[in-house]
Amino acid sequence: MSAAASVVATTAVPKLSVEHARKSFRQANGAGVDAIADLSFTVRSGEYVAIVGPTGAGKSVLLDCLLGLKTLDAGRILIDGRPVQNFVREQKGHITRIFQEDRLLPWLSAKDNAAIGLQMQGVTEKDRRATAAKWLDAVGLSGFKEALPRELSGGMRQRVNIARAFAPNPELVLLDEAFSALDDVTAMRLRQDFKTLAQAQSTTFLIVTHSIDEAIFLANRILVFGAPARLMAEIAVPPHAFEDRMLSDQIKDEVRKLIAAGARVQ
Amino acid sequence: MADAASPARRSTGTLPAASVEPVTTANRSFISRVIHAALPFVVIAIVWQIASFYTKPFLFPGLGSVAKSFWTILTTWDLLSQGLVTWARLVVAVAVSLVIGVPIGLAMGLSPRVDEFLRPIVKFIMGVPALNWVIIVIIWFSSTELRIGFVLVVLCTPVTVYCVYDSVRAIDRKLTDMVLAFGASPIQHVRLLLWPYVKASAFTATKLNVANAVRTVIVAELVGAPLGIGKELDLAKNVFDMATVLAWTIFLVLMALIMAQGIEYAERVTLRWRGDSRGRE
Repeated sequence: MSAAASVVATTAVPKLSVEHARKSFRQANGAGVDAIADLSFTVRSGEYVAIVGPTGAGKSVLLDCLLGLKTLDAGRILIDGRPVQNFVREQKGHITRIFQEDRLLPWLSAKDNAAIGLQMQGVTEKDRRATAAKWLDAVGLSGFKEALPRELSGGMRQRVNIARAFAPNPELVLLDEAFSALDDVTAMRLRQDFKTLAQAQSTTFLIVTHSIDEAIFLANRILVFGAPARLMAEIAVPPHAFEDRMLSDQIKDEVRKLIAAGARVQ
Repeated sequence: MADAASPARRSTGTLPAASVEPVTTANRSFISRVIHAALPFVVIAIVWQIASFYTKPFLFPGLGSVAKSFWTILTTWDLLSQGLVTWARLVVAVAVSLVIGVPIGLAMGLSPRVDEFLRPIVKFIMGVPALNWVIIVIIWFSSTELRIGFVLVVLCTPVTVYCVYDSVRAIDRKLTDMVLAFGASPIQHVRLLLWPYVKASAFTATKLNVANAVRTVIVAELVGAPLGIGKELDLAKNVFDMATVLAWTIFLVLMALIMAQGIEYAERVTLRWRGDSRGRE
């Protein structure tokens, strides 16, 4: 049994529940375009769920809605059975996001960047610097705690991005194509390190990715989205699927076919 | 002592030739830059000096007379204090324009409604020539300091407003989303994300305002100020003392340059995360 699969919990109330979510935008020419169309799914506590889908499937919009940065036109998102807006407002830093680009503040050191979520939670400076330092150690940046972002490589900045997401001790971590801006070797190493770190936490992970390999490597369930965002299929990822070439190829073929079927004409 | 000195000698002696070479090249490059920068002024000085031989002193005084006047300013407290009065007016006006301009620029950058309301007013004020303000303040105020201060502040504040406004609008939306995604309150948003950008724009505004205010302060002081460089220039004008006029002009330009250098230094220290200021030197 893979470590990822082993953390699947069986609590009755799902950690995350998206119910008949709808979201559309108005374009410059006045025409409306759907980003999310009647989307429903649930994620149990401690699960690692990947979302894959074609470009323009509204995956990032969904993440914005999960963080309360955008509001749905219809439907609802519940965290532990509570509306997401209430959860985000009352429990700062309990949902965090690992962004595709590092989005570090250029004037802050790696340590201060990693401590941003803790700062929002009102943690004292001494404690947040200690916690941030611990997480920088964990992501392998012990010698770069006081370095400014411009002094770090892309891979190192992404490690700070990961440390920043873990530091507030979140209940739900959203990965927004977190490794796609890195070269293959760095991305693979970082995925491995991320998985090791994640397995030590009792956290739920929602992983948005374009890489089916990444989804198979990190997740124990894959949600395939069509465009606009709607659930086309759920695929269980058996333990050790990533290491089993035949099984992973089978999953990849299935996901690819579903993505092709669900793609919006661009 | 000999023991202490010898390792240093040894280490210097073992430096590879290649490491000495760039220093020599750097020195040569520095000397070359100094010559290039000084050359236009040397040419002007020569032409001026030649002109002084063939014209009356009130038109083109000799460089020696100008230098003597300049030295007199530097070494006579009564005169030097006039320069300091002007300097103090500049500093206070630029500081006040920051205090007024930063919140206005911030509000305009953050709120489309405030922007819509205030932008036409700021644009209008920017369009009013300095001399018009001088006339207006003569009618409005009897206090000289108030007149000069008002003119300087009213000319500097719109520059500050626009610098801050532009910097707020130029903030990367992705950084804003990141800060909000972590649940930043409005105060945390301002302190963590906006303030560093505002600081950078405030330095830009201050540099522009110093250059702007140096040009304007003399006009304001000429109109009835009992103290300051403007008053000294007025006195020199009345007796056709061109050497003193030039000496005060040089003093004013040097004062502006020193202030600009001081601001740039503070900017480099405060915004060291940018790491680009020194590179441009």
